[in-house]
Amino acid sequence: MHLDDVLTELVEQSGDRLLRVAYQLTHDAAAAQDLVQEALLRVYRSVRHRGLAPEDWYAYLRRAVVNEYVRTRRLRSSTEIVTDVVPERPAAGCLEDRAADQAELWVALGALSERQRAVLVLRYYEGLADHEIAILLGCREATVRSLASRGLAAMRPLVAAVSAEEEQT
Amino acid sequence: MSKLEDDIGRVMAGHDGEAPRAADLLRALEQASPPRHRPGWYIPFMVAAAVAAVVAGSVWAGGQLGGRKQSPVSGAAIPVQRPLSCPASYAHQAPWVPAKPAGIDGRSRLVPQTTPGSALICAYRGSNTAKQQAGWALSGRRSLVGGLASLASQLTWKPHSPRQPLACTAVGGPQTNYLIGLAYPGGARIWIAATDEPNQCVASSNGEFTSSGIIGPAVSKAFASGRWPARTPVSCNRSYQDTGRLGQGTAMVPAGPTSVTICAPNARTRTLTSGYQTLVSALNRLPTRPSTHGCSGTPGPSGAYEIFFSFPEGPPVLVSILVGCHPAIGNGDLQATSASSVVPVIRQLLKPA
Repeated sequence: MHLDDVLTELVEQSGDRLLRVAYQLTHDAAAAQDLVQEALLRVYRSVRHRGLAPEDWYAYLRRAVVNEYVRTRRLRSSTEIVTDVVPERPAAGCLEDRAADQAELWVALGALSERQRAVLVLRYYEGLADHEIAILLGCREATVRSLASRGLAAMRPLVAAVSAEEEQT
Repeated sequence: MSKLEDDIGRVMAGHDGEAPRAADLLRALEQASPPRHRPGWYIPFMVAAAVAAVVAGSVWAGGQLGGRKQSPVSGAAIPVQRPLSCPASYAHQAPWVPAKPAGIDGRSRLVPQTTPGSALICAYRGSNTAKQQAGWALSGRRSLVGGLASLASQLTWKPHSPRQPLACTAVGGPQTNYLIGLAYPGGARIWIAATDEPNQCVASSNGEFTSSGIIGPAVSKAFASGRWPARTPVSCNRSYQDTGRLGQGTAMVPAGPTSVTICAPNARTRTLTSGYQTLVSALNRLPTRPSTHGCSGTPGPSGAYEIFFSFPEGPPVLVSILVGCHPAIGNGDLQATSASSVVPVIRQLLKPA
């Protein structure tokens, strides 16, 4: 078996899951693929250099993806790709449409800071406990709770506004 | 768990289907081609991988990622295939592209030699006298319906920008910044910035390769007609010539010309498809240096020759010879001091057969 076969195997085994996590982080399919690719190649080179292999490849690669996301997102903020597609907002009077609420929530998730978003994705999408997230992000558990709390707080006014308008309709 | 937390989990799960697939990633990794392994980490990595679930029947045979022959369109990662769309605004002063080449080696050529599968032109109209030269709004877009092979063959031969800055006129007027988005089978894509303005002095760029070649007028034609225009034949009477070719920075006449057109004083012109190799040799024998894009008059006889070397594809190379000026010879990227060894060869070629 060639090493490249191993890398291929890893992609086939974990690629879809990693890409879904990356998409939750980036909200952009191309960026998600770039993110996973960067993380994979980074891990590939690192493991080659050190000669050690982790026991849980998925967890190891997921950690690489999340940290690559947090690391590079700030760097990319000055070179964001401009697009003429803007997120659609629900029209007035259509707030009973649950899809519109979900779209608002998705947009609100995208507006969070990279660390807040990473914590919420790991907590509510990956189902990790706060202490696991802390290990993954390399921070204290209290920091994870704080990031989650601030992220949820940033989203609550939106949900409250939507609920209030739903009650009026 | 609060309702908000429930909703977040549901919304996240609802977007699962939008994520790219592992197959897309494999294709991209194939292009990224990580280096081959060295002994020392291969064994532990393999042991660990053996613990992981084995996916049988992989179509990606051993060695393919690391040893695959590169296609003409290759290099960096290939993004997920999706339609090209015009940025809402032209974010910076020209030339600017919204993204660097993806899945394409953009450093050696302005565009690949391969014909793209589709081409989109985005136009941003403004003025070269406007105070604000960035942030121009999208004024129009057009997908090309023809001439894509022509586009590739013309743009792929555009020359690198010279090291020395070009001297430009300063005519004020309307300016259109264009973005040409090219998408290739397999997902590779590239954006090219081109500008049409009165001085024809704004470089073209793909974000990694910047060219002094003038393509703005051709893009304007393509934007108006929906087809990339065929190249225009060389003429001594035309004021605008689409000249300048990749390779002219290393040789006065790059390899492979198939004809030469000599424009001489007193409206003497001659086009030759054979027997001009002596001229090519004479020009390429001259000691050269990077062009300073100018010359100073010297005492003695004067005269101007323009010599166009044409190629099967792409723009011609224009070698200008100004007898009585120093330096006397230039092709836009290189210059040579003396024309004394070249002018007799030209005169010989101008004689009727």
